[in-house]
Amino acid sequence: MNPDAQQRIGFIGAGNMAFGIAKGMLSGNVLPANIKVSAPSSTNLGRFQELGISVTHSNTDVVCVSDVVFVAVKPHMIPRVLVEVSQHITKKQIIVSVAAGVTLAMLEELLPENSIVIRLMPNLPCLVQEGALLFALGTNAKGEDGALLLSLLHCCGLVEEVPEAWIDVHTGLSGSGVAFVYLFAEALAEGAVKMGMPSALAHSIASQTVLGAGKLLRDSGKHPAQLRAEVCTPGGTTIYGLHTLEQGGVRASVMSAVESATQRARELGKK
Amino acid sequence: MSVGFIGAGQLAHALVKGFTAAGVIAAHRITASSPDTDLPTVTGLRKMGVNLTTSNKETVNRSDVLFLAVKPHIIPFVLDEIGPDIEDRHLIVSCAAGVTISSIEKKLLQHRSTPRVMRCMTNTPVVVREGATVYATGTHAEVEDGKLLEQLMASVGFCTEVEEDLIDAVTGLSGSGPAYAFTALDALADGGVKMGLPRRLAVRLGAQALLGAAKMLLDSEQHPGQLKDNVCSPGGATIHALHFLESGGFRSLLINAVEASCIRTRELQFLADQERISPAAIKKTTLDKVLQQPGVAVGGDAGGNGRSGLNLFNNRTSGVKKKN
Repeated sequence: MNPDAQQRIGFIGAGNMAFGIAKGMLSGNVLPANIKVSAPSSTNLGRFQELGISVTHSNTDVVCVSDVVFVAVKPHMIPRVLVEVSQHITKKQIIVSVAAGVTLAMLEELLPENSIVIRLMPNLPCLVQEGALLFALGTNAKGEDGALLLSLLHCCGLVEEVPEAWIDVHTGLSGSGVAFVYLFAEALAEGAVKMGMPSALAHSIASQTVLGAGKLLRDSGKHPAQLRAEVCTPGGTTIYGLHTLEQGGVRASVMSAVESATQRARELGKK
Repeated sequence: MSVGFIGAGQLAHALVKGFTAAGVIAAHRITASSPDTDLPTVTGLRKMGVNLTTSNKETVNRSDVLFLAVKPHIIPFVLDEIGPDIEDRHLIVSCAAGVTISSIEKKLLQHRSTPRVMRCMTNTPVVVREGATVYATGTHAEVEDGKLLEQLMASVGFCTEVEEDLIDAVTGLSGSGPAYAFTALDALADGGVKMGLPRRLAVRLGAQALLGAAKMLLDSEQHPGQLKDNVCSPGGATIHALHFLESGGFRSLLINAVEASCIRTRELQFLADQERISPAAIKKTTLDKVLQQPGVAVGGDAGGNGRSGLNLFNNRTSGVKKKN
């Protein structure tokens, strides 16, 4: 019995996040025929249509046919969109906002009382079904609403329910964290170029190194310090390199980076 | 005597492990409660023979000595829930960093006229019976209560009574201390590996060196500076190494660490002194699980005047929103 196969899913907004999430759902149990997407222009709708998903320019149309509505528009558009569709929202629908910095309190204020609201924070690698998605339940959302969302999204990557307070931290860690990793990969490649390797090769190896290390970390269940120790032969190259990293204060920098990004997410959430 | 733990996380696990190893209480006389049954510490406690439940009320009913082993911001919430079930026999021992005795007594005075409260700050090495614990005594706790707690905690390491206003500093030093030591040991091992030692041996030797040094200091009347000098032959390896440490500001880093931990503890105290917690702090499905426990009532507005129930979120105009 697959409850999610019967769910009708709507997306308001057709950007990268919506696309990544839709793709993930399709690799699960959801049928393309049960998804509908709206966007003001046709620019981004093509790739949805290629997957067999029906599209429209009317946000109201999407809301009226969906059980679960993902609101995947830019944060500053949220008030306008929610006010537009508010009268069509029923007590049974689940509204999932993907907008960074928009709190459950803000969302619930814009929607009818008793609305079921969930706040979801995905990240860019949802596009390749390797996302990290955290969600927080609103006042009227129950455990089974969270469970439904979890089952819809499980193919998008790692999905978990958390207290709302952790969503800003997740933004700093994993939303922005993706960029921190890109920075690290770029620097790895540059080090290799300095030592004589051609740039193109250095970049492709750097990305494969990050990917492979990431896979091992996730799938081995071991602590990263343990995995690090396993790579360090006594007196070998790795421990020399690590020493240089430690001297550069990398750990503290990274911690501070997550801290700054999180603080900024909190500030944005207060406006 | 029965012991209960509200909360079944790292702290509860470490204390139970220590107590049972010391033989000071049997596992079947211990009860622990947690809404989240997936925690690895919950499994660990169950394996040790502890009675586990999802109901804080059940833990309270089955215990004489009740440890509050939850995160500081959860304490007010827990106190509101169990307040009505506290009886004269109960000794409440809070282990939460930054949570004052007076804030706990204030909550419990809504239900009992003389709640017996103590506050302790311990650390994780209680798990190997080398803990460092201090405690402060509340307004209505008796001398015997202090003796009882000291007996329990001394079975798992060093334990002494202090003035309550020193507890934040203790948190910064010995509460967080083991983490400083683990970080130092990881780095010392890295140093050993860099210079050719296999990792396992490097870790073993580093740990033994710190353990031995600590033991020497505890057993000696001498100042640590004197003991250090005894290791440093003139022009030798150690003094060269120490110079590196000093150049890097090693001492001030450690002072800063203790200070930062102490200051953060005081900030947490401020947050915990607020009577309500923000809904953002608790995962909603956990909250829903707690509200489904038998006998957990839900209050509608600002508590006080003998009204039992949970006082929850303070940022909505109409109080509690749990609907069935």
